[in-house]
Amino acid sequence: MSLFADYRPLPGTFDEVLDEDGARPAFRRVLEQLGRMSSDELARHQQLAELALLNQGVTFSVYSDNRGTEKIFPFCVMPRLVSAADFAHIEKGLEQRLRALGAFLDDIYDGQRILAAGIIPPEMVLGSSTYRPMLRGVKPPGGVRIHIAGVDLIRDPDGTWRVLEDNLRTPSGVSYVVENRVISKRIFPRAFDLARVHRVDHYPTRLAETLRSVSPVTGDDFTAVVLTPGPYNSAYFEHSFLARTMGLELVQAPDLFVDGDMAYVRTTRGPRRVHVIYRRTDEDFLDPDVFRPDSVLGVRGLMRAYAAGNVALANAPGNGVADDKAVYPFVPDMVKFYLGEEPKLAQVQTYVCARDDDRQYVLEHLGELVVKAVDEAGGYGMLMGPQASAAEIEEFRAKINATPRRYIAQHRIELSTCPTWIGDRKVLAPRRVDLRPYVLTSRAGPWVLPGGLTRVALVDGSYVVNSSQGGGSTDTWVLKGDAP
Amino acid sequence: MISRVADHCFWFGRYVERAESTARLLATTHNLALDAELEPAACWRPVVVVAGEEAAFVTRWGDDDATFADGERVEQTLTWDDETGVSIRRSVASARWNARSIREVVSMEAWESTNEIHLYMRGETARADFADRRQDFYRRVRSSTQLVLGQLRSTMLHDEPLDFIWLGVMVERVSQTARILDVHHHAITAGGRRHEVVATSLWLSLLRSLSGYEPFMKRNQGRVASDQVVRFLIGEDRFPRSVAYCVRSAYERLCAIRPPAAADLPGGQSLERLRILDELVRAQRSELHDGEDVHELLTTVVDEIHALCESLGKELLGHA
Repeated sequence: MSLFADYRPLPGTFDEVLDEDGARPAFRRVLEQLGRMSSDELARHQQLAELALLNQGVTFSVYSDNRGTEKIFPFCVMPRLVSAADFAHIEKGLEQRLRALGAFLDDIYDGQRILAAGIIPPEMVLGSSTYRPMLRGVKPPGGVRIHIAGVDLIRDPDGTWRVLEDNLRTPSGVSYVVENRVISKRIFPRAFDLARVHRVDHYPTRLAETLRSVSPVTGDDFTAVVLTPGPYNSAYFEHSFLARTMGLELVQAPDLFVDGDMAYVRTTRGPRRVHVIYRRTDEDFLDPDVFRPDSVLGVRGLMRAYAAGNVALANAPGNGVADDKAVYPFVPDMVKFYLGEEPKLAQVQTYVCARDDDRQYVLEHLGELVVKAVDEAGGYGMLMGPQASAAEIEEFRAKINATPRRYIAQHRIELSTCPTWIGDRKVLAPRRVDLRPYVLTSRAGPWVLPGGLTRVALVDGSYVVNSSQGGGSTDTWVLKGDAP
Repeated sequence: MISRVADHCFWFGRYVERAESTARLLATTHNLALDAELEPAACWRPVVVVAGEEAAFVTRWGDDDATFADGERVEQTLTWDDETGVSIRRSVASARWNARSIREVVSMEAWESTNEIHLYMRGETARADFADRRQDFYRRVRSSTQLVLGQLRSTMLHDEPLDFIWLGVMVERVSQTARILDVHHHAITAGGRRHEVVATSLWLSLLRSLSGYEPFMKRNQGRVASDQVVRFLIGEDRFPRSVAYCVRSAYERLCAIRPPAAADLPGGQSLERLRILDELVRAQRSELHDGEDVHELLTTVVDEIHALCESLGKELLGHA
């Protein structure tokens, strides 16, 4: 009997692979093959997979814990499927979106035409703490600002893909995409073969090419490094993974210094010039001369070297203004303004509390809306209206009235679900998911990795997929063609 | 390479080697205490001294034979105690911490093996093995750490990072050999004339604790005498744990890192120190006449290696 025999999608929710009549046509044969495994066998594979991740040290550090606690990122062995047609749509939409966001950043840090044209109210951009006035007029080496983007997509009950959030600063998670694939291929070799899935393991090579493309020097005498805050950082595994798979050195801020507007790394043979830094540190901690004078972290003078065009930083500092939740509602307008095109990807209708009409609507409908603080991430600083107590709602009402610009609101979307392995009951049950594809932009333009991180809200009934709040991940199989 | 990374490499090598050598020393002594007609304290005190933990033991449990006669306590402490610098568990954790800080440098295989032995030492299986299958436990620690060392050599580029790791291994190993030989030599020869059988079993145990039993026999056709053991452990060029071998090997690694001709690169002082130590060991190895000579040479080795680490830190590893 198939593993999926007793699986029932949630009413009013789009399920990624099944509808009321069973498997979606594009996935029928793959699902038949996946479903052949017995639940005992799947349980055993799940355990082995978790053990393998632990043994390989594919772990993240837990912030709330003191030194050294590491956990594996909860992982579901059952892969999530994305049809070729769906991904083609996503790919085109993301390329377009990234071109528009890049143009927006170039404009904001230069002539600010979009503000002058009245497309976006200036205070929404200039009043944001993520806008860096000191970077105005600075041209990034290679002309690229968003070298690496991770864009969170969700799917509404109609099956429409919508952008939930753009991550244009230091998006993480791509190492899990590569590692999850290793495991799912091992567990489901036949289904994988049958499905004809796009590979994802060339991501590090493409990333290295992207970094090379923005080097301020030409030729082979070129050094790129990955900058990490260190082993206590929750994403340290990924930093070392990327450095290792790209063959680059993983450095910490004290390993770098700037002299004569050039960046150098301290080596056992004296200083060596560095041309490109893939930085996984927050920009607040890049250079104490510019951002946080109180910080002992960072590399003094780095921004000077950057402004002089002698070192490329990926991603460019200042990008936060484009993935600010308060600017998000205007991205479709950016697509029209800069590219003269209609947006290909939908997004979620958003109420901007700084606008009087929107704010009034939000205050009247707090019990139905999801309210987000614009400067928080990771699922923090949110009000889930439909699940909130009266006291929580009143607390947010007061907060919104006090600083309206800090808040936006959206209707809660019934995120789509995926059959997810529930270990303690040994069954597949629907759990809500999102999808974070990764987009690399080199001098030549954007490229979308045909895959992505599927994050799963493992807790029954939950809508929050963040790993800090009970989320896990699963491998994402993007099919090359729809099944025969 | 980056100085901080070189530092992690060096210490990674040292801690892996340290875990292995502590496990070997405890396993051998455990065996010795079962067979030999020796007071337990005479077996275990030298182990604590070699570990550099004599003072800590005295502070914790008092300065009398009873403190050192409790072999179980010595094994417990040197295996599990996180406060004890050379304990197996702490060495493994430190090795793993250093490796994790340079995961992009260490090969995947070597990292996974390091991580696995760390997880083993933190889990319940290791406790159960230690309680019920003591020798198997030590064997597992040793084979896992040897696996790491072998994997490093067979899966990494033979390049600067591996040179630093191996420099760390050799520095740790030569200190171990020198200290173990010094302490035991003193204990065996100074304890008055012992019955020949007892003395022989002590020398054999010493050789075993340095994995030198079979190599020694091959060189000496079964004859066991103190002079021969001492000359072997100090001067045998072909034995990978002898003082002469380790010093030469460390020197060669450092030459690869910082060639003697490259006067403009940092590291000159460290290189010169090692060169002189290598010369000294080679000059003296055939002229060791009595216990005093042996003790003096071994003390010099230990002190010089200590000084070498200081200068490596300043010249190459980015220490302030």
